[in-house]
Amino acid sequence: MRNPLRPMRRVHAHCDIPCGVYDPQQARIEAESCYKIVEKYNASSDELLRTRCIAVKEERAELTKHHIDVLWHDYFKPEHLEKFPDLHDTCWKASKAASKVKQTTDIEAAKELLGLIDKIDEMWKATGGPEKTRLQAVAA
Amino acid sequence: MSTERGRHRPLSSFVMRAAALGAGVAAVAFARRWLDVVEVHGRSMAPTLLPGEWLIVEARTYTRRLPRVGEIVLAADPRDASRELIKRVAAVDAESGTVDLRGDALEASTDSRTFGAIPVEAVGWRVMARYWPVPRAARL
Repeated sequence: MRNPLRPMRRVHAHCDIPCGVYDPQQARIEAESCYKIVEKYNASSDELLRTRCIAVKEERAELTKHHIDVLWHDYFKPEHLEKFPDLHDTCWKASKAASKVKQTTDIEAAKELLGLIDKIDEMWKATGGPEKTRLQAVAA
Repeated sequence: MSTERGRHRPLSSFVMRAAALGAGVAAVAFARRWLDVVEVHGRSMAPTLLPGEWLIVEARTYTRRLPRVGEIVLAADPRDASRELIKRVAAVDAESGTVDLRGDALEASTDSRTFGAIPVEAVGWRVMARYWPVPRAARL
């Protein structure tokens, strides 16, 4: 029998994205791919390999950019901005750096991108990201 | 062993109890426009309110005065009127007649940061207390 004390009316402590899983490592892994690809590109004289490097780097850099944008739009909230006034600037620069990695085969650009993602990672950690946005343990 | 226990109680005691119970039931039936019970869904008010908790809400206060900062309220979702939100009042602008709502779990809440301040008329109910689960029963 239904508990007579149980309310019929539901109220919603609502959240658009209940999944809420974020981690800058997603962006970091794609950016590391870019870094390695640029290294391989510059070390090789094999035209086929070099062409493939460009194609794959294009794709990985786009993914990096996407992951950065998701953190920027969806994870970070106004109170995080109060804590880190350079949050917008860092995310913006990281997106720009990802574009530069896409456009060039400059290893310095790939390095800069990694550095900016690490800065985002620090902000994610300092705002409780690891505890709040990653599953702590999942039963098999 | 005592044989006195539970023998005779004054009739008036039963009458009083029956009357009180009857009055209570009648009052509940009558007063659901003023007083109601609701069940919490979603996590955006954690740790204050958790999914599945049952609350007593009342609708008289806001016929007399504006909501106040810190009060937990029910309001129609401005993006989906069929859904009733439960959030905390973060700011009240008496001039424009709007209130700013926030979930206590800032990381996992969709609130005025997304949909903006809402008209004060959309806020009808004030949360008074939690009555279930019993160990967490409290005035709110």
